[in-house]
Amino acid sequence: MAKIVLENLGHSYLADPKGEHDFALKPVNLTWQDGKTYALLGPSGCGKTTMLNIISGLVAPSHGRLLFDGKDVTNIPTSERNIAQVFQFPVIYSTKTVRQNLAFPLECRGVSPSRIRQRVAEVATLLDLDYALDMPARKLSADQKQLISLGRGLVREDVSAILLDEPLTVIDPQMKFMLRRKLREINRQTGVTMILVTHDQSEAMSFADEIVVMKDGLLQQSGTPEELFSRPQNDFVGYFIGSPPMNMINLDVRQGTLATDALSLTQPSPSESNALLYQLGIRPEHISLVDQTAENVGVGTIKKIEHLGVDGIVTLELAANVVIKAKTRKHTAMSVGTTMGINVCQDDALLYLDGRLAT
Amino acid sequence: MLSSKHFFLLPALLTLVAIILFPLLFTVRVSFSSWDVFQSGLDFIGGSNYVRVFEDQRFWQSLQRLSLLSIISVSLQYTLGFALALAVWKQVRGGRLMRVLFLIPMMTTPVVMSVIWRTVFHESLGPVNDILSAFGVGPVPWLSSATGAFISVLIVEVWQWTPFMFLLLLAGLVSLPKEPYLAAAIDGAGTWRTFWQVTFPLMAPITIGALIIRLIEASKIMDTVYVLTSGGPGTATETSSYYIYIRGLRDFQIGYSAALSLVYLVIMIISLTIIAKLLLRMLVGKDE
Repeated sequence: MAKIVLENLGHSYLADPKGEHDFALKPVNLTWQDGKTYALLGPSGCGKTTMLNIISGLVAPSHGRLLFDGKDVTNIPTSERNIAQVFQFPVIYSTKTVRQNLAFPLECRGVSPSRIRQRVAEVATLLDLDYALDMPARKLSADQKQLISLGRGLVREDVSAILLDEPLTVIDPQMKFMLRRKLREINRQTGVTMILVTHDQSEAMSFADEIVVMKDGLLQQSGTPEELFSRPQNDFVGYFIGSPPMNMINLDVRQGTLATDALSLTQPSPSESNALLYQLGIRPEHISLVDQTAENVGVGTIKKIEHLGVDGIVTLELAANVVIKAKTRKHTAMSVGTTMGINVCQDDALLYLDGRLAT
Repeated sequence: MLSSKHFFLLPALLTLVAIILFPLLFTVRVSFSSWDVFQSGLDFIGGSNYVRVFEDQRFWQSLQRLSLLSIISVSLQYTLGFALALAVWKQVRGGRLMRVLFLIPMMTTPVVMSVIWRTVFHESLGPVNDILSAFGVGPVPWLSSATGAFISVLIVEVWQWTPFMFLLLLAGLVSLPKEPYLAAAIDGAGTWRTFWQVTFPLMAPITIGALIIRLIEASKIMDTVYVLTSGGPGTATETSSYYIYIRGLRDFQIGYSAALSLVYLVIMIISLTIIAKLLLRMLVGKDE
């Protein structure tokens, strides 16, 4: 168990990085507390796997330091780092049984056979793999193989953190849900830090205590799922977290205030700002569609209704050709072409200056 | 029933008949005849050629010799080829040149190479004995003693076909996934454990393929023996195909050599199928 600190950690795959663009991971400062679950979230090629490989020691960072419990491990090889990693494709030793697979990391470390037996039994119970212990590992299903990969990490007593590199990608959807819950359960029972890399926001939101959103090798925002949802620090986080993404409505400067024809919500113009773009960000979940009254902040014509089971996504066209999406449960009573009143709570409308949340 | 679309099968069927079916059936027919240099033509003598095959000690000895030769040479080729492939696999600089150099033996004509090897192994004129004598060894009767001749054939076979193994195994190694190696590093496995637990099991399908291809090829060994030792001294290096060649094309016992060929073919099909199954069970597991 350990606290993991990334100190100005960056990596470029080029020998001589010239500028920002040459970095796969731009220098970042982060602290990961012991025993919590974290998710690294971002689109493909955003540097999340690079960050994970640096932590596991498979890639040596070109800049900065990595600390486990205050100890510099930047140049320590993988096998001495007390890190376990689960990969996208389940890795098992195909000639061994489940029991031998789980025992392998301990055998490599010269642990006594009686201790190995005890640990393997404990971990097998934790993973519900007792019944399969003497089966050849290759005969198990993909999600069970993934559990074995995880088990090979858990069986070691010195593991500081378990890194999960998109471990659920090749798992069937129903099993995915089960496995995710299992991962959280294991985290709660063993108190081992888990870091999950994923590009699936719902996976990240339901798994992690804290999410780190990345894009183009740059840290965008780090915080709890609630924070990321209610106060995205920039337009990318607003776009990437939440489905459908946050509505961004352009604002004009009018006599010291910021306003739009679409909605009668105004914002005081920040005095010391020379931003070029002012936007209002509103989550589709925070827009309520009601019958038209004088109190509405705007009106819109329904263009499209998408059914998602309980919820529906309603696309509306407002004044000045502004198009927004709203998430509602009352969509079954609505029809395309009708005009609805729109209500938004002032606190749910956030101001963005050049794509960054105004503070 | 028969429509115009079936007509399109004709070219393939004709080719099949011409190159496989007709020669095979003709051989079967010839094997029941007494066609030889005195009496040509297709008479019918029943199974007496086959009876003769089963009583022919020289044929069964040649088959034993062939089995020994192919099993030893293919094992050596596999071991050496794998070792070379592992050596070149990670090391990139000069790797391409090495690969081309390794392939030269495989690309040269067996007859030409055998002539050169015959010169190399020559008891009084060859460079091998010359070099050995500098160390006070020899002269070794490379081609004139039974054991020496067998070992010479073995050396030439291994020398010529190790590159083929090397090529197949290297292609296999290059295509292996990276994750199992990362996982093994994280689990703390050293080089030895990584090889036996990761590389070797992952290479099992390629291993089986390479071994079977080489066993089929090795069991047909003929030109090397013909040039290097002519099956001698005595019958010390006579392999099945060389013996069939002697009976058929030197003694012109066409009917008898047809029977020999068919018996040889059946034995090969059965034994290679069994070997393939055994390898699969050994390397992959019982159930697949």
